[in-house]
Amino acid sequence: MIIKERQSTHVYRQKQLFSKEELEARESLCVHEQPAYCNAACPLKLDTKAMVAAIASGDFSKALQLYEKITPFPYILSALCEAPCEGKCKLCTLGEGVSVRELEAAALCYGERAKKKGLLRKKAKKAAIFGADLFSVFLAGELAKKMYPVTVYCSQSDAADLVAECIPELPAAAKEATVADLKKADIKFEFSTDPASAYAETVEKYDLIGASYSVAQQLYPGLTVDETVMVYREQKLLTGKTEGVLDAAFAAKKAALSADRLAQNLDPSNTRGEEGSVETRLYTNTGGVEASNRIRITDRESAVAEASRCIQCHCDECIKGCVYLQHYKKFPRILTREIYNNVSIIMGDHMMNRPINACSLCGQCSILCPNGYDMAEICKLARENMVYTDKMSLAVHEFALMDMVFSNEEAFLCRKQPGFDTCKYVFFPGCQATAIAPATVRAAYLDLCNRLEGGVALMLGCCGAICDWAGRYEMQEDTVKFLDEKLAQLGSPVIIAGCPTCKKELSRHETIGIWDVLETVGLPEKAKRMDRPIAIHDACGARGDSQTQDAIRRIAEQMGCTVEATEYDRDKSPCCGYGGLTQYTNKEVAKKMTDKCLERSDLPYLSYCMACRDRFAREGRESMHLLELVYGTSADHCPDISEKRYNRLSLKNQLLGEVWNEDVEEVDLGFTIDYTTEAIEMMDDRMILKTDVIRVLQNLKETGEAILDGETGLCVTRARLGNVTFWVKYTETETGYLVHRAYSHRMTIQTR
Amino acid sequence: MATEKTYYTIDPEGKLTCMKCKVPLRKGNAKFMYLDNGFPVELPVCPKCGFVYVPEELALGKVLSVEKALEDK
Repeated sequence: MIIKERQSTHVYRQKQLFSKEELEARESLCVHEQPAYCNAACPLKLDTKAMVAAIASGDFSKALQLYEKITPFPYILSALCEAPCEGKCKLCTLGEGVSVRELEAAALCYGERAKKKGLLRKKAKKAAIFGADLFSVFLAGELAKKMYPVTVYCSQSDAADLVAECIPELPAAAKEATVADLKKADIKFEFSTDPASAYAETVEKYDLIGASYSVAQQLYPGLTVDETVMVYREQKLLTGKTEGVLDAAFAAKKAALSADRLAQNLDPSNTRGEEGSVETRLYTNTGGVEASNRIRITDRESAVAEASRCIQCHCDECIKGCVYLQHYKKFPRILTREIYNNVSIIMGDHMMNRPINACSLCGQCSILCPNGYDMAEICKLARENMVYTDKMSLAVHEFALMDMVFSNEEAFLCRKQPGFDTCKYVFFPGCQATAIAPATVRAAYLDLCNRLEGGVALMLGCCGAICDWAGRYEMQEDTVKFLDEKLAQLGSPVIIAGCPTCKKELSRHETIGIWDVLETVGLPEKAKRMDRPIAIHDACGARGDSQTQDAIRRIAEQMGCTVEATEYDRDKSPCCGYGGLTQYTNKEVAKKMTDKCLERSDLPYLSYCMACRDRFAREGRESMHLLELVYGTSADHCPDISEKRYNRLSLKNQLLGEVWNEDVEEVDLGFTIDYTTEAIEMMDDRMILKTDVIRVLQNLKETGEAILDGETGLCVTRARLGNVTFWVKYTETETGYLVHRAYSHRMTIQTR
Repeated sequence: MATEKTYYTIDPEGKLTCMKCKVPLRKGNAKFMYLDNGFPVELPVCPKCGFVYVPEELALGKVLSVEKALEDK
């Protein structure tokens, strides 16, 4: 069977991945970009987290610059702000929160204030403020920052008098600094003036008018202020009643924004954006963070120490556990948007194809994310979409898909237990177990036949996970149909799966794991005892299947193992690198995934998916499959890609002879093929099978087409097999050929 | 989709011989095709039977990178 390659790069078919609403709903689950709790609590929108981080790194000037952004009078705020941020600090759930206000004061004390650039031009609209209170002082500062020429008419005799009267509770040092600030500020003061009279005389000269609340009441008794914008709308007067320093500072900010709108002859409510404190949906894991108390700030060092207590709240739960997200350095919201856009590209380069195909589809993210963000589902939908729109390259998955075809055609076996017309059970070991550990599969089947009543059929094949992972939904439907027909022919027995992924894929039928059977009938006599501690690597196919996870642990303990819990076990288990076909599409990411699995423990790994066992053993780790332990079979061999196919076929033939007395004749090629060590390694790396080489050499026998390279002395021949041209470099031997090198390409070549 | 541009030129320089026709390969015109895209090239070709030789370095180098680029189109 040949799988059809996509026709052309010039097929302009398109299908939306999901609706805009669904995209937004999915994206909103990711809270990575949500503001930290302290930032969200501040109505003035201070980037508290960044400011504290700057202090922790010793950069007080940077911290001060961030702080000065939110207020014209930082000394007033740092001395008297009610600091709602401190109450929201995540550390409060453990011990004492970070003392933000004291750190603000430290920034003022040790940081260098930013020099005014003086490049901005004054605005044409002029502003006047009548009467001084906390609100109107802040408003004057905010308007001056916005480059409006501001004049303040107040009864106080000078700046010191003004500060003393408006903010009597301000400590002496802050008072002095604020007086200096007022003097430096680009604000014109008309001291010792009656504000109400000044208003009557001069109001016409100004475009923007503000007033302290008492002067506003004097001018317009019974006025009602729209506090969302701090405007007495009838007179377009910026004013309002405030309580406390933070409220006054925030009200002044709102009023200054209203001034901008009024200056443009717009309604003050026009396009204001988000103002004030907000609710944050951020999640921060405080695991591993110890409770601590505030450090009294007396100098630079103690300020740095206090700031260093900050845990810089953020959510990266998924990234911490997932190598795939780490590799692409993107958190799920961004990745989803880029995948969505990639799928929407009709012409041109699809830069996200590789990331879409590199995800192991293991679903770990959906468990680690506090909101259950499922990146695997998105990548799988994208793959199906690419297949549907004929944008999916066959090259990335063809080897795995052809492997599946091999499992369900040439190496497929479906037989009832001899002597049984109907079977109560069918053993479905899975394609990886038969490829990697055929002796284990044989032992398990014979054991099940011996110890279970009602007959145990055998089905050697692939459950369909491969095409499911590749997004080949049509192939998946065909596989489901094929397997269902075969199961029906057996009388719809209960499936005993040898692999958690098969169990999941075949769950449309009554399916149990072989581990469930072993718990019921007990372990076979030759079960290996292993009286030592081990780490269990849970298969991603068993995610959410605590029954299976528990059964594996109980069996391991029965065999004397002490199971050590690891950080990412059970439902949090990462993929070994085989899942989602990552092993085929992105070897680099797959390798990192295996390494991530192995870094959790130095103990031998017990797994219950043969692909995991194989990948761990390849990395040189002592690793075994539960069934290898149970049936005492060897767990030290890592077959190459050709051997994996050979194992499946020879297991089938062996069992046909042994159990069903059907002898299979071996095909005689008529010549021998030997391989150099270099050729064997090269072929495994380049995904070239020995069966491919055999077919190329058979073609050579038929056509005689080859060339001799005089320089190397090697002969070269080739054959087009399906969608790939395979080239073999060989020398002739007495009985056949010695293969030195092999390579392939997908392009076709013709003369012109 | 073929253009007139020639992408690769490889001269066999007499070191390659067609084993079927017993003649040396010569530089000849050939065309790579992939996913409905064509690339004219000059490769070692047998002047009698037309066997086109794709050297390993070319297959794993330029050919592979063009394949990958087209697969993402």
